[in-house]
Amino acid sequence: MSLEISLDNRKKTIELIEQDGNKVKVLIGKTEYELNVAKTSNGIYSILHDGKSYNISVIREKNHKNYIVNTAAHSYKIEIIDAETKFQKLKHKDDSDNGDNTIVSPMPGKIVKILVKEGQKIEAGETAIIISAMKMESEFKAKRKGVVLKINVKEGDIVEGGKKLIVIK
Amino acid sequence: MIGKILVANRGEIAVRVMRTCKELGIKTVAVYSEADRTSLHVRYADEAYFIGPSPSAESYLIIDKIIDIAKRSDADAIHPGYGFLSENSDFADRCKSEGIIFIGPSSHAIKTMGDKITARKTMVKAGVKVVPGINKNLDNEEKALEIIKSIGLPVMIKAAAGGGGKGMRLVKNEKDILPSLRTAKSESKAAFGNDDLYVEKYIESPHHIEFQILADKHGNTIHLCERECSVQRRHQKVIEETPSPIMTAELRDEMGKQAIAAAKAVNYSGAGTIEFLVDKDLNYYFLEMNTRLQVEHPITERVIGIDLVSEQINIANGLKLSLKQKDVVQNGHSIECRIYAEDPENNFMPCPGIVRNITEPSGLGVRTDGYVYEGYEIPMDYDPMISKVIVWAKDRAEAVNRMNRVLDEYKITGIKTSINFLNKIMDCPDFVNGKYDTGFIEKNMDFLIEKEVCDKNCEEMSIIAAFLEYNYYLDKLVPQTTFSNNKNKWKEFGRRKGLMKL
Repeated sequence: MSLEISLDNRKKTIELIEQDGNKVKVLIGKTEYELNVAKTSNGIYSILHDGKSYNISVIREKNHKNYIVNTAAHSYKIEIIDAETKFQKLKHKDDSDNGDNTIVSPMPGKIVKILVKEGQKIEAGETAIIISAMKMESEFKAKRKGVVLKINVKEGDIVEGGKKLIVIK
Repeated sequence: MIGKILVANRGEIAVRVMRTCKELGIKTVAVYSEADRTSLHVRYADEAYFIGPSPSAESYLIIDKIIDIAKRSDADAIHPGYGFLSENSDFADRCKSEGIIFIGPSSHAIKTMGDKITARKTMVKAGVKVVPGINKNLDNEEKALEIIKSIGLPVMIKAAAGGGGKGMRLVKNEKDILPSLRTAKSESKAAFGNDDLYVEKYIESPHHIEFQILADKHGNTIHLCERECSVQRRHQKVIEETPSPIMTAELRDEMGKQAIAAAKAVNYSGAGTIEFLVDKDLNYYFLEMNTRLQVEHPITERVIGIDLVSEQINIANGLKLSLKQKDVVQNGHSIECRIYAEDPENNFMPCPGIVRNITEPSGLGVRTDGYVYEGYEIPMDYDPMISKVIVWAKDRAEAVNRMNRVLDEYKITGIKTSINFLNKIMDCPDFVNGKYDTGFIEKNMDFLIEKEVCDKNCEEMSIIAAFLEYNYYLDKLVPQTTFSNNKNKWKEFGRRKGLMKL
């Protein structure tokens, strides 16, 4: 059974053909790979392919379908798109809140200042909120022009990474 | 003699100081804030005491709390590390009046060097070269205009209480003098509660070179040669090395003597650092003195062959320096890289979070000074520096190659770090050739943030690894033939045997 996988938003299909101990045969798109794979410790994979050795770490993100994968020099966001995910995406297509323009905290931090109010208009590139983490203050701006729909935090709040701070429509 | 030391700090420096204490048979006391209960320094110390909420202003910076713990734990001395209370003259005074040894200079030395105008005056009197400028407060706008014109543009307007680039303004055009003066004044007032300003000639793309000083309480002061600290981003050091690629034996001798004169001018004792700006024609000027241990002290330790923390403790014990100026010889070359929890691909945004895996580099000539471990959550309340990696080699070329290899080996996952960015610096021709100044990062930014080309295979391998991890997870939910790296033949054998018995 083949699965869809997205790597930094580029989609590919993958299928497991055979697996016997460390020997793994997979098909990506139309290319077949014969590999020797060992999981060495929590999330670290050693893959041998055509005599080349790859050391790859796989870090689980919010669930077992989202991973950050690090190679020697690169870091990728990888999502496994199984039937359930496909169905969910289809279902949510209609009521998506144009999420792209929502300001999400990329890291844990403290809200230093909120420069906008609910209901006000905001220009693309306008700073909406300032967050401080590790002695550094970072400004977060609206990606597109819009209206501030909802502010989910107040000044002085400590927030987790990934929290929706300001919804802009 | 000091038998127990309270380390009034956290992170890598607290651990580093305790390591030396352990070697010297000195007991260690840690203090920790709410966010730091699981921090390594707490686990490393013999004793550890809670001092309050996570923000440093409510814990590590409160003198009363530190002194209280020192007394309760019966500590003979306090080592302040760097940052926090290390350059606070009130703290040094307080330790003295409470009968606790402050491992650092006198409060007089801290105070004199802490106020930049007083420091300039003192240096001029001691015959130390300072950046051309004035040694008094610019409180009158008309006079300020006159003074700045006489120095000649461009100039730097600086806060007397300054530090960290706050209250600092570069002025290139005459029309910008007054507006810059006013903003520097208000910024300085807001940041330090003091709006005294002074002005210096602006030195374009200088080198930042500092000299390590050691002074005992018997009048012996020596220098331990230079550290080249010109690889900086936003006035923050990123990489340091010694010897400096631009240093000559004559210049080292001359600057070393000036550094000693600077330290003697404030009757310095302990370990300290004199920072100089050096222009492209090798003219050098006193910039400031750091009256504490520096982040980058390990590279000096490595090439000179001494333990600076051990020397600090000896000096605090009233002993004489263990070496004389003529014994100070630089052996080989050392480079330090500071590893920050930040995302270079995203404008160096700080990146606190949980560390998943760490693979520390090792091998010949490698030292890491860090404090994070697998499963540790790096708090958002403190500095983003999580470790320092120091290499030593017989010459610079070998040291650069070694650092390149070491950064390849160093893996920290779960959070973003500056490791790949530092690795690019080791490949950057200007750095490799030793031809760089404080403008280095800005000049080479495009090269430094350019991504390594990944062959098609490394993308495919990433996909395969994620796919297998996903399958592994599903297999665990439905127990069946699991994906494992080594089939345990003995287990199988045992099971079969068990069956046979039945």
